[in-house]
Amino acid sequence: MISSRLRAWRHLGPASSLRTWRHLGQRIGASAQAPAAAGALRGRRPSPIGGLAAAAIAVTLATLAIYPLRHIAPVVALGVVYLPAVLLIATYWGLWLGVLTALVSGVAFNFFHLPPTGDLQLADRRNWVSLAAFLIVALAVGTIAELARSRALEAESRRAEADLSAALAGELLRSEDTERALATTARRVADGLGLRSAALELGAAAAGPDRLALPLRDADGHQIATLLVSREIPADTEERLRARVIPTLEALVAIAQRRDTLQAEAVETALLRRSDDIKTAVLRAVSHDLRTPLTSVVAAGHALGTNSLSDAEREELSAVVVEEATRLAELVDKLLDLSRLQAGGAAPRTDWVSVEDLLAAASDGLRGPGPPVRLLVDPGVPEFRADAAQLERALANLLENARRYGGEKPITVQARRAGDRLVITVVDQGPGIDAAELERIFEPFYRGRSSASAPWTGSGLGLAIARGFIEANGGTITVDSLPGRGTSFIISLPVEGQPALPVSR
Amino acid sequence: MSSAPRPRVLVCDDEHQILRGLRVILRDAGYEAVPASTGEEALDLAAVRTPDAGIIDLVLPDMDGIEVCRRLREWTDMPLILLSAVGDEDAKVRALAAGADDYVTKPFGPRELIARLQANLRRTEPEPEQSVIVTGELEINLASHVVRLAGAEVHLTPIEFNLLAVLARNRGRLMTHRDLLVGVWGHGHGEDTQVLRVHIANLRRKIEPPESAGGRRYIRTDPGVGYRFAA
Repeated sequence: MISSRLRAWRHLGPASSLRTWRHLGQRIGASAQAPAAAGALRGRRPSPIGGLAAAAIAVTLATLAIYPLRHIAPVVALGVVYLPAVLLIATYWGLWLGVLTALVSGVAFNFFHLPPTGDLQLADRRNWVSLAAFLIVALAVGTIAELARSRALEAESRRAEADLSAALAGELLRSEDTERALATTARRVADGLGLRSAALELGAAAAGPDRLALPLRDADGHQIATLLVSREIPADTEERLRARVIPTLEALVAIAQRRDTLQAEAVETALLRRSDDIKTAVLRAVSHDLRTPLTSVVAAGHALGTNSLSDAEREELSAVVVEEATRLAELVDKLLDLSRLQAGGAAPRTDWVSVEDLLAAASDGLRGPGPPVRLLVDPGVPEFRADAAQLERALANLLENARRYGGEKPITVQARRAGDRLVITVVDQGPGIDAAELERIFEPFYRGRSSASAPWTGSGLGLAIARGFIEANGGTITVDSLPGRGTSFIISLPVEGQPALPVSR
Repeated sequence: MSSAPRPRVLVCDDEHQILRGLRVILRDAGYEAVPASTGEEALDLAAVRTPDAGIIDLVLPDMDGIEVCRRLREWTDMPLILLSAVGDEDAKVRALAAGADDYVTKPFGPRELIARLQANLRRTEPEPEQSVIVTGELEINLASHVVRLAGAEVHLTPIEFNLLAVLARNRGRLMTHRDLLVGVWGHGHGEDTQVLRVHIANLRRKIEPPESAGGRRYIRTDPGVGYRFAA
């Protein structure tokens, strides 16, 4: 419907430059012209049939209006009554209909009002003047209106173009990934130009029997992308596409691609830096934490080989070997756990797990002397699906940590159900952790500042491993600490609905 | 030289240092080590020397320890203990399914290893049936079905008592979920581990009050594998 109206207007329209924008016409809104002219200045030109009818009515009304006025003013002066009609028609329906109205007004004035009335003879030269005035007014007003209309159209099309550019820039530059933004960008182009479809592909793409491939090139002339549109687009749309849209797209895609490259480089740099940090930490751990017990073992081994040993000395040295080597073994186990977690190789082997079993196994595994561990399990805690061995290691690491940093006071482990989560808290009554340190304690190789003075502390891996295994089982671990009062680690694990089994008393 | 023949223990590990250490540890505990450094050698020696038990490393140069267990199990029921590393949970489960009786995680202390060995040797040479088993403060009277904790009688359901009795009779030995289910409920209940866990939890509540946690425990959990009664 719109296109047929546009075609009609094209036949009538004088300004070929306007034709270029006719597809844009649909999108153009009101201009900043006077309200009366606003309708006329819309891209959708009023129908010429309506114009003819309006002209006829206006001229008739003017002609009729002059009759009563003839008693007040000289007839010749009353020609001005036609001017509003000419003005109106020229403004709304353009130059040619305005001129036509002027001519018809002249003829009507001559025929009905200028003596001799009833024929078209012009007896008086003044009558020629009024006819000429009508024509000049019609031409002038029509031309000005046309000019205004074309200016408005141009302004609107510029605005539409700027809108399109802004939209394209938004799509391409705001998105994280250029590749994914291409589809929406292409849709914007299609919407903006009234195309049925358009596609945008990175690199070169082949034209098809029904699609046109328009290359997008960067500043060096390398093809960076291809805009694919239907071959059936009108020649002037294609021209506009090539002249206005493609240069914008070329610049935007080039920027977006460069941004992608920079972003990828930044991520890579960050990863490298992080892996560098880890390597440094591992190296430090290996050089100190592995070498210290090794040195003790080697020294004790040499000492055991000497001749002048008392039984007590021999026992002592043998204990050193066992102790130090055990510490070494624990560290190696932790390094292995951590590397498994970091390599993503810790897929849980899930089975039904009872929290009592888990806590019992974790506290059974504690080595050496230390403060007692109290286990409190709410009777309503259900079984849940998880990897028992992984969670045991997570809890064992937490208990070990609590015993190491919790002073000599007892440690309490409590398990309860909270909705669809199982919450296990490990609470010590030690000196607590500074707020500034809380963020970092889960980092591998990070050791609490309070532990710096201790001769042998942990590997700095326990909490990282605990968090790794808990998260691998769909859980979370958080820490809460009151300096001077103690520290709580809060583990939350998902529990599925489970038929309750009887609890015997 | 002792007059009574020492029990022979097949030890299969490709690491000679470990074989050397185990030989001394076993000798010290009254056993004779039969060392083998490959799976094939272990299978041959098992046939020639007829050992009373086997300690087999999970990782061997020619075949894995699970395979050795499986092939030994085809003709002998001697106790087999597997040496595994932390994190080898899968291998543990497969080894137990292939016929291993127990496992010890490397690095192990000699006391732990010898305790496991003794507990598992008891299986093949049963001691005269005891009617009362006493461990720590726990006293289990198998004849009268009375259990006392620190002198006070503990009321157990029949299933809980049977569970405790099976565990206590096999003290120190790993009892897999399946062993316990079959031992208490009989064949046909081998898969219902959830029921087992619930009864174990109830049993623990009665004989191991929370205050005892972290101290001595009677029933120990091997996560994902089974339970054992403190030796």
